[in-house]
Formats: sequence, C-alpha cells, structure tokens
Amino acid sequence: MSAIKKLFGIVWSLMGIGIIPLVIMQAMKEIAAKPSEENWIFWSIVIVVLMPIIAFSLITFGVFALKGEYDVLE
Amino acid sequence: MAQNVTNVSQTEEVSSTRRVIAASSVGTLIEWYDFYIFGTLAKIISEQFFPKDNPTAALLATLATFAAGFVIRPFGALFFGRLGDLIGRKYTFLVTLVIMGGSTFAIGLVPGYKTIGFFAPAIVFALRLLQGLALGGEYGGAATYVAEHSPAGQRGFWTSFIQTTATLGLFLALGVILVVRQTLGVETFSDWGWRIPFILSSLLVGVSVFIRMKMSESPMFVKMKKEGKTSTNPLAESFKQKDNLKMVLIALLGATAGQGVVWYTGQFYALSFLQNACNVEFVQSNMIISIALLIGTPFFIVFGALSDKIGRKYIMMAGMLIAVLAYKPIYQIMYDSANLKSKIEVVEKTSVETKEAVKGTDTITTTVTKKTFADGTTYKETKKLTIPLDEAKKAELAAKDKLKPETKKEVTLPQDLFYKMIGLVFIQVVFVTMVYGPIAAFLVEIFPTRIRYTSMSLPYHIGNGVFGGLVPLISTRLVEATRPAPGLPPADPLAGLMYPILIASVSFVIGMLYISNKTNNMDVE
Repeated sequence: MSAIKKLFGIVWSLMGIGIIPLVIMQAMKEIAAKPSEENWIFWSIVIVVLMPIIAFSLITFGVFALKGEYDVLE
Repeated sequence: MAQNVTNVSQTEEVSSTRRVIAASSVGTLIEWYDFYIFGTLAKIISEQFFPKDNPTAALLATLATFAAGFVIRPFGALFFGRLGDLIGRKYTFLVTLVIMGGSTFAIGLVPGYKTIGFFAPAIVFALRLLQGLALGGEYGGAATYVAEHSPAGQRGFWTSFIQTTATLGLFLALGVILVVRQTLGVETFSDWGWRIPFILSSLLVGVSVFIRMKMSESPMFVKMKKEGKTSTNPLAESFKQKDNLKMVLIALLGATAGQGVVWYTGQFYALSFLQNACNVEFVQSNMIISIALLIGTPFFIVFGALSDKIGRKYIMMAGMLIAVLAYKPIYQIMYDSANLKSKIEVVEKTSVETKEAVKGTDTITTTVTKKTFADGTTYKETKKLTIPLDEAKKAELAAKDKLKPETKKEVTLPQDLFYKMIGLVFIQVVFVTMVYGPIAAFLVEIFPTRIRYTSMSLPYHIGNGVFGGLVPLISTRLVEATRPAPGLPPADPLAGLMYPILIASVSFVIGMLYISNKTNNMDVE
C-alpha cells in the first residue's frame, strides 16, 4: 500500500503541474476566439482562484505522498 | 445509590449536550438562511441594484454572486478561525452571527439603483462580502464547539445536527421566499416584497444571539487556556508546520473538495437544471427541491451516527462513488421526464392569445401559447416583444438585431412526474447526506484543539466555497459549449455534470488511498 501511495504521489504532482499550462492555453484560445466580458470574467476566476488552489494543493500533496508522509496514516 | 448518581450525571450530560447542539444549530441555520436568500433572489437583486445597461454594476453583480461565495469565505475561515483559537469559540461565532445578521438586514434596507445610483450596487456588494466573511467563520466554530462538547464515540451523531443546518437553511430560505411571493403576488414581491426575507433575518438573529449569549465556552478550550497551552500563532502552526499542513491537504483533496461538488450538485445544480434545462415552472421546481430536502435531512443524522460505528471514511467515499456513477442516469431521467419532444400534444387544447399595450414610450406585444400533453403535462410560453414608438429608435434597435421577444417557457408536470422528480432529487440529497453528514466529525478529529478552528475551517470553505461554489458557473459553461448556435438548445444538456464527476472522482481516489478510517475514535484532546 505504501508503494502505491508513493507512486500516486508522482501522479498528483504531475497533475498539479500539468493543469497550469492546460488552463492558460485554453483561456487564451477561448478569449482570442471571443473576447467578451463574460469570457474574461470566467477565465479570470478560473486562473486567479481555482487553478492556483488545485495546482498548489496537488503538487504539495503529491510531494508529501512521494516522501511517504502519509504512510503512517495506514 | 452509586448507580443512581451515575445515571443522573449521564442524563445531565445528555441534556447539556442537547442544549449546546440546539443553540449552535439554530445560529448556524440562520447564517445559512441569510446567505442563501441572496443567492435565491439573485435575479431580483440584480434588477434592483445592478442594472444591465451599466457595465460596472453588471460586473459587480457577477462578483457579488461568486466572490462572496468562494473568495471571501476562506478568508473568513482564516480570520475568524485564528480568533477562535486565540480568544475562544463562543465569542467568535457570536460575532460572525451578528455580522451576518446585520449585513443581511442592511441589504433589505438599501435603496435601489434608481434612488441612489451607483452607491446602491457598491453598498450591496460590500454587504455581500461581509456575509461571506461571516459564513467563513461560522461553520468551523459551530462544528468545533459542538464536537468539543460531545462525548467520545458520539461525535458523528452530535455534529451531524450542525450538518443539517446548511440544508435546512436553504429549505427555510426557499420556504420564506415562496410564502412571501405567494402572499404578496409576483409583481409586489419583485417591487419591494423581496426585502421581507432579508428584514426577517434580524428577528431570527436576535433570538439566536440571545440564546448563544447564555452558552458557556467549550470545555476543552477553557482547560487548554487554564493550562496556558493555547496557540500564539494559529495560522503559522496550521499551515507552516508540515505535520499539520499535510492533514489540511488531505482534508481538502480527499474529502471536502468531493463533498463540496456533491453538495452543490445535489441541491443547487438540481434546482438550476429543473428550471433551465427542463423549464419546470418556478413554484413547482422550488417545491420539488424543498420537499426532497425535507425528506432527505434526517439522513444527515443517520449517516453521522453510523460513522460513529463504522468510521467516517467509507460512508463519505461511498457517497462520492455512488454520486459519480449515478449522476448521469439520474439527470437523464429528469430531462426525459420533462422533455416535451417525447410527449403527445392534445392539439384541441392548444390556445394562443396575443395582447398589445402601450406602456410609456413602448408598444408591448405579449403572446401566450398554452399547450396540454397526453400525460397531463402543461406548457406555457410567454413571448414579450417591446418595440419603441419612436421610429428612429426602432430602426436603431432593428439594425442591431435587438428587436427580439423575451421568451419565458414554463412546464408544469402532472402529479406522477412531480413525485418522480422529488424522488430523483431526494436520491441526490441522500448522496449529500452521506458525504456531508460525517464530515464535521472527520475534520474535527484530524486536527489538535489548539489550532482546530483555523485548521478545519480553511479546507472546509475551500472545498465547499471554491470547488462546490463553482459548480453553477463551470457546469453552465460546459453546457453552453455544446450549444450549436445562440437560440438553439444545447446538444448535450448533461455536459455540466462533467465537472462534479471529475472532482468527486479524484477526491474519491485520494480519500480511499490516503484517509485513515481509524480517525473516528481519535482522542479530541
């Protein structure tokens, strides 16, 4: 179980890192296609609020998992 | 004799815990009521304070709806959480109640945009932020306070009463709005009657403050304070120390994020789906949600109590997994039940009525089409076309393609489909009770007393406020993305479910892998 937890730690970290360019590229694509106020508000909320929380928490959580910090909780 | 003394002491303990639960729950329920009436009346508030032709006011409207819901709540959690760990639980969540009640009451008194111009949206925006701040501080305090009064082995049961308050608060908000709207009539309600639910809050808060003033401080906090063991810097201890930060992260990713999306989908998205995708009439759609909420609420206590016996983890995880698997089929049935394309129209009962009236500088043409279907469903479509009397203005609007009628579609379901919808929403409320019922006890038990208020409040409000609070915004966006062209129906009305399904799935995997089921008996001290 400990090995799976550590292995998934890599998955969470990669997900956290991967989400940043993915969201920014999608936002740029959609705003370029339709630069409406609605689009700007939506993507600002996602980029300023949601993305940093998801990225920071997944990366940090992944690193902790990889280091075996959660093994003791078994 | 000794047996009698023990029995008396146990009875007193239960009675005291009941008083604590009642006093805490009433206050928290009122705070949720205050928070939800703004969201439920968002459309009317927008018309009164945030006129569409003023872009700044429109921007404030969007921010007021969302910012207070998710950005401010975690800040409230940090601010009041810190206070609660420094000066005590009782006074902190007394303050949050007063702030919430005061700002709600004030919203009910703010003159509209027509009277004081831009000050109106600015004041309402500021008051909405105060509401979010207060809500951020309330829940953690109430859950901590109740848990610290509860006997070990019964925390899931006792804290589940706090868990019922969010749903009952929504129920109360919907109920009060429906009653006031039905009593005054739609026009009067839209004009000034919407203020009554806000003003009514002052009465409810007054009673609750009176009850809370009589409560004593949490025994664990008092003991810790006497021993000089309270934290001097709860924020640093909560989020800078690795041992605690890792628990904050596991609480957020493995529990509250998934719980937040299941909660918002089962209650808010269900209502929005009924009204916008299924076009179910306002009163009927609110009745469906209200009845399902009322029938589902006791399950918070059932699952809270069950978590004392079998642990918190598996109940919460089962709730998330079943929700992930069941959402699509449930919403498909909801959609099909109200879909007029699959129903047989009773053509001889169809009626079309057109009225024309001059109002001010405009001619208003209203066309009402009524249809009846073989299964008893009725449909009413109201098209309202406003054309300026002034020819130049008319030509200008026509050139901008703005001479289009406003269309309102209302489907009224027959009795059997009405009950079927209640059943389908009720199932979703049961998922909510599975993930939400045990979560207060779970959060309380993974953090130490000295920083509990701060540590548990933040993941709770990020999970609920950010992940959950964004369900309406992101889900609506996902559905809109499938719309082939403006005016046409979306190709996939269920596309909005992708967001809660994805978040709940990740949360389920993290929770199953990393959360321990043994925490249920951890000593709270």
